[in-house]
Amino acid sequence: MPEIKVTPLGAGQDVGRSCILVSIGGKNIMLDCGMHMGYNDDRRFPDFSYITQNGRLTDFLDCLIISHFHLDHCGALPYMSEMVGYDGPIYMTHPTKAICPILLEDFRKITVDKKGETNFFTSQMIKDCMKKVIPLNLHQTVQVDDELEIKAYYAGHVLGAAMVHIKVGSESVVYTGDYNMTPDRHLGAAWIDKCRPDILISESTYATTIRDSKRCRERDFLKKVHESIERGGKVLIPVFALGRAQELCILLETFWERMNLKAPIYFSTGLTEKANHYYKLFITWTNQKIRKTFVQRNMFEFKHIKAFDRSYADNPGPMVVFATPGMLHAGQSLQIFKKWAGNEKNMVIMPGYCVQGTIGHKILNGQRKLEMEGRATLDVKLQVEYMSFSAHADAKGIMQLIRMAEPRNMVLVHGEAVKMEFLKGKIEQEFSIDCYMPANGETVTVTTNPSVPVDISLNLLKREMALGGPLPDPKKPHDQILKLVSSEQALKELGLNEHQLRFTCRVQLQDPHSDPDTLHRIYTHLKSVLKGYTIQHLPDGTVMVESIVIKVSSSAEDPNTKVLLLSWSYQDEDLGSFLSTLLKKGLPSGLC
Amino acid sequence: MDADCVLLLPGVCQVLLDSGRSLPDDTTLEKLLDWLTGITEADKEGSLLEVHPCLLEFISFVVCKTSSDPSVISFTLKLCGLMGATEDGFKRLQESSVLDLAFSRQHWHEAGLWEDPCIRIGWIQGLRSMLLHSKALSFFVQADLTAQLLQLQTDTSLFVASAANQMLAHILLFFQPVMSAGCNTIGKKHWEDKRTQASIIGPGVTMDTSEDYDAVLAVTSKYLQESLVPKENTQFHQSLQTLKLLGLLLAQARPPLRDQLLQTAADPLEEVVTAGCSQLTLPLMDVVLAAYSSSTGEGVPDQHVARLLSSMLTMSKPADLIQAAAALLSRGHPDSVHAAQAVRILLLPLDLITGQALLGTNTAADKHRFSMVDQLKSKTSCISMICVCLTNTPQISLMPADLLPCPSASIVTAVLSLLRICSGDSSSSPAGCPEVFRNVISSGKVQKSALEALTGLSSSPGVKGMLIEVLAVLIEYLNHPDSDPIVLHKSYQAVVQWLSVCVDLSFTTDKLQQDLVEVVKKRVCDMRWEVRDSTVEFLGKLAGVLVSAKVAPDTSEVLLGGCCSASLLREALQDPESYVRASAISALAQTLAHSWQQGAAPTQQQTDIVSRLLEILSQDTEGFARRAVVQYFIAWFSSRSSSTSRSPSTSTCSTSPLLMNSVSTVLSLGSADLDWEVKVHTLELAELLLDEAFLGHRGYRKGSDTHLALPHPYAVVSDQTCTLHTHNRKRTEGMDSDLAIRLKTLVEQGVFSVLLSGLVDCDRPVSLKACQLLIKFRETVCPVSIEAPEETVAEVSCELPGWGWGQDISKTLGMTMSDQAKVADIAANGAHVFDSEDCKENVNKGGDSVCVRVCEVLRSLGLDAKLDILIQSSDHVHNSPLSLLQDILTAGAAHSHPDTQPGQEVIVDCY
Repeated sequence: MPEIKVTPLGAGQDVGRSCILVSIGGKNIMLDCGMHMGYNDDRRFPDFSYITQNGRLTDFLDCLIISHFHLDHCGALPYMSEMVGYDGPIYMTHPTKAICPILLEDFRKITVDKKGETNFFTSQMIKDCMKKVIPLNLHQTVQVDDELEIKAYYAGHVLGAAMVHIKVGSESVVYTGDYNMTPDRHLGAAWIDKCRPDILISESTYATTIRDSKRCRERDFLKKVHESIERGGKVLIPVFALGRAQELCILLETFWERMNLKAPIYFSTGLTEKANHYYKLFITWTNQKIRKTFVQRNMFEFKHIKAFDRSYADNPGPMVVFATPGMLHAGQSLQIFKKWAGNEKNMVIMPGYCVQGTIGHKILNGQRKLEMEGRATLDVKLQVEYMSFSAHADAKGIMQLIRMAEPRNMVLVHGEAVKMEFLKGKIEQEFSIDCYMPANGETVTVTTNPSVPVDISLNLLKREMALGGPLPDPKKPHDQILKLVSSEQALKELGLNEHQLRFTCRVQLQDPHSDPDTLHRIYTHLKSVLKGYTIQHLPDGTVMVESIVIKVSSSAEDPNTKVLLLSWSYQDEDLGSFLSTLLKKGLPSGLC
Repeated sequence: MDADCVLLLPGVCQVLLDSGRSLPDDTTLEKLLDWLTGITEADKEGSLLEVHPCLLEFISFVVCKTSSDPSVISFTLKLCGLMGATEDGFKRLQESSVLDLAFSRQHWHEAGLWEDPCIRIGWIQGLRSMLLHSKALSFFVQADLTAQLLQLQTDTSLFVASAANQMLAHILLFFQPVMSAGCNTIGKKHWEDKRTQASIIGPGVTMDTSEDYDAVLAVTSKYLQESLVPKENTQFHQSLQTLKLLGLLLAQARPPLRDQLLQTAADPLEEVVTAGCSQLTLPLMDVVLAAYSSSTGEGVPDQHVARLLSSMLTMSKPADLIQAAAALLSRGHPDSVHAAQAVRILLLPLDLITGQALLGTNTAADKHRFSMVDQLKSKTSCISMICVCLTNTPQISLMPADLLPCPSASIVTAVLSLLRICSGDSSSSPAGCPEVFRNVISSGKVQKSALEALTGLSSSPGVKGMLIEVLAVLIEYLNHPDSDPIVLHKSYQAVVQWLSVCVDLSFTTDKLQQDLVEVVKKRVCDMRWEVRDSTVEFLGKLAGVLVSAKVAPDTSEVLLGGCCSASLLREALQDPESYVRASAISALAQTLAHSWQQGAAPTQQQTDIVSRLLEILSQDTEGFARRAVVQYFIAWFSSRSSSTSRSPSTSTCSTSPLLMNSVSTVLSLGSADLDWEVKVHTLELAELLLDEAFLGHRGYRKGSDTHLALPHPYAVVSDQTCTLHTHNRKRTEGMDSDLAIRLKTLVEQGVFSVLLSGLVDCDRPVSLKACQLLIKFRETVCPVSIEAPEETVAEVSCELPGWGWGQDISKTLGMTMSDQAKVADIAANGAHVFDSEDCKENVNKGGDSVCVRVCEVLRSLGLDAKLDILIQSSDHVHNSPLSLLQDILTAGAAHSHPDTQPGQEVIVDCY
């Protein structure tokens, strides 16, 4: 029985370094190629050596699909394409292709700051890698090769995020990447066809969480920022270049406008312009409200948010600053943090997850005395807040997506094992489908119900109709029922080789010419007789009429007696018989 | 171990015992193990268990209390193995009855944990770490773990299965007996090397070890014999894994072991070869080649192995055959007969498709011809086989002529024919296989492979004369309306490569040159930025190739289309895609390099380019383009310096005011840029100015100073800078007398300001580079070893702005000088202010600006201490073991006293 195999090399019962291998209908597809920011060595990248025998990924993989621009989904891409040497097709949506290099550059900068880093890619590698990317449009079926096709669906989560439907023959898999089932300030909700895939591979970050409404979190965020500003404090929001930073900017901009606040809001390193550019460029990927209001007012042209200069950090009075990088690893956000940490009126809001070792992680865990360079100690007196603004589907959202797509099996990835276990039980109970949660390196094998092609005689079909039995509808898949599919597809699915049945016949002919001349005469004769047929005189000494091959040899006894060998496939049976009869009559005189 | 860490370790063990789920993140345990492994390796003598009893308690507790988190148990098993790697540690673990339990599969099975792959991984890796001495081997054998390990070889987890294989190979190779007579010396040496590598193993092989070893070998051999041949379709996985194990073993096994393995595996291997299982071809070839090369190492190849290798090269399925032949070539050809055979097999698809008769007219020898033709008719296998064939052609063409069935030129012709067929033109292949043509027509995969092969074939012997033919096909590809960006990119690469090898452009024709120019003109306006970028990059590379090949300027201009190249690049400066703008700037630098080197006065066109570049530097929203601008000026400045050194007569032309004015602007814009790489490049430009000003002066050292930080592996190093550093310019006399003048010039040019602003930059690579340059500066103008600098030098002053970096520097100065009890000298704003004619005017205008003496600033900034900090990584404190232990403790405390508000739980989501 045909099988689909799913093997996570990353994101199997964990978050970080998403990289999932899917083998379907003889095709190998890699879904995402992320990095784990918690490691400084090769462990940050997926280990591809497990899946290739000769180290040549290009020979093994049919394509790589990147779901969105977050580094845990695309961070290892330049490593894979420029350092490991994968040279096959890479797919991602247009916005992801445009924004990916910015995030990769952002992270490269952090890496350069560290010491002892090895095996990291350069700017040129990022560019060379992006040049190989084939952009995807939503809902457009892309034919990777004759058998494999992919189709992208809107996933919400971040600008350009996509779910992808992968189809080989009648087998299919949907990979969600990260997705969000509720619209937010700038993006819409994920959506997919009722495509009934054999497997739905879904993220499960918030597998056990029913998240409070985003509005509540936003209100809370604004309240905290406002309070801090009111008491004359400064607010630092460490962010990555693009993504949730823009969402928070819209939020603050609207709030400032409404409350008529005067405290300055700054955004570091010129990213507002860049973000503005990308959001304008990909306005169709944002939510309906932004698209509607765009004509009157571009939500990303901020009145209150100004570019930051490092000297502003020392200005007296309240202010809000968005600064990179997001985990307070290094650079500007860390520099500002050091300046402001000593004042309890100030506040730092961490809008996302921070890996171990970063200052962001330490302060979120409640460390109040930080050892800095040169044995100096930094007293953290400022207020530390954590507010996750990441847009993932919660348990309710995941169930909603299952209802939408109606998969036959579920595979959970990108989440914690304990939480997945809970959701798995819930899914199996509610939908009566198998749900798997493979660990990294473990393979889930799902047997599919292949479509079996049947050639059926007209009589049999009529008899079946007379008995009132249902006739198979080729468009509608039925389990355990015979289906009509092409014979090529059937052979592939059944793993069988096609046998060619050929007929042969010998015809004797009197022609006092050399063998090549006789053949040429036959060619000329057939050309004149068979109008509209493909007739070729091939260099290997044969004449071909459609599938019929004609060869000439002389009889051993009499060189003027030619033996014509005709061979044809059963499809051309009629033409074959016609030709043998025709040639038996001999060649007309006057042929040259 | 650091004393602070010693204090924290018991607490950390306690946190891990309490609950693994409170760990900071999923990397914590691995990082903890890395640290403990490092300590174990560094301290070969002592046992960590003895010094830190908490570790033994921890291990015992976790092993007994199976309720811990699986990740903690897995960590504990690995730790247990690590601790047992020394005989002392092993003894302690055994005395505490920990080992039997820790490595009892039954124990974990009963606890319902064995199903978790992380437990199995921990189990294998723990054993792997421990098995470095005979006692551990005895334990392994007595506990009958070989069979269990063999079972894991076919585990559902790729990671477990692979680790089990590695582990089995480790045991058999690490403890393999030394060859008796003859090879004894080599064997002993190897064994000693192994011991030195492991360094923590106890006494060597004893009689007991030998018995234990034999026991492991016997079980493994039996397993190999039984599982090599797949009995049913479902057993492919087991055969595959067993082949991988055998491959690992044969690659390093020495005679006694190798012979035994071969004896055991010979018959099953032959059976596998005969069975012709496609899925097993590659690992099988690995095994056969490993066996073959290890046997040839002894002198005469084993006849049996040679036969196997021959069988592999006569397999019935063409796809398997191609794979086997490719594997043979890629792993180094063992002998000329097999190599020649592999070459024929690999060239066969190309021969058949294109009809180029690569294998000569006597094709009867290629008995696979017909089956190969049949396979080529299927699209999937055709593409896959032809790609393998193409990948290997460059290597084949470089092989000795007696191994090749045809000259390299014929291979090039065949690849060119294939490229033509791919683009729908089969006229050049009348003898080709028309039924196969449709499979390769428009196949991007084949086109890419063929173009790569063509690029690789450029260095083959005797192919230079084919340049015209090659260029014609490549230009056709560049012109083809359906070519995808990657195909175009690879076509450009091939053109550059062929032109760099065949620099004699008389090989080309006017028509070809004209066609190339036309196609470039077309592609530079392509809708796709990827194509525009590749085209612009191509122009730059082509200029680079022609300059480095010292082709006469007029020839290169013809090929580049005269001034067309520069004008196309100027157009590209306006490109909406920043990558293209950046490539255009770099390409312009390469294109103009020749005229810079000649020291010619800048033309109006060059002046326009400079204004445009300065505009980009000040206004472009993307860093790539701005980085390229600074690098452009670095290249220009370097060329000018090198041309001055070569030909002093041209120096007047080359020190054009245009360049010098631009450099000042670049310094001021670049140092205020938002992008860290622009700033680093600006500092490199400043370094060139320093080099020029001080070169030859006593105390000034060019390039990286040895006492300074070692270059960072990712530090941005300009090629041009490196080039300049290799020049030997001789300026010796009279340098001291005008030092003050030159110092003043540098201040006026803004070099000093660039260095100071860089020093207080928030990005470490910038401040590190600035600090290194400032120290160099200081050592030249006012070395610390000299009590006071010359008066004229000491008088030179500069202006510190009252904002931004100026403020930061003032603060630093204030702090340092107050430390030195020079408070009286310090003005209210923290800088050492004085009345100087040099910057009086500016100060009056600027209001907040202050004047400071350069030498005083250089001596008071505490540069050496700052450098010590900067050469550390930005995360050196927070990635330290102490930081890790503190994080574990803090996370543990937070977990046990949850006072966080609801909704405050930090969920690992995404980044």
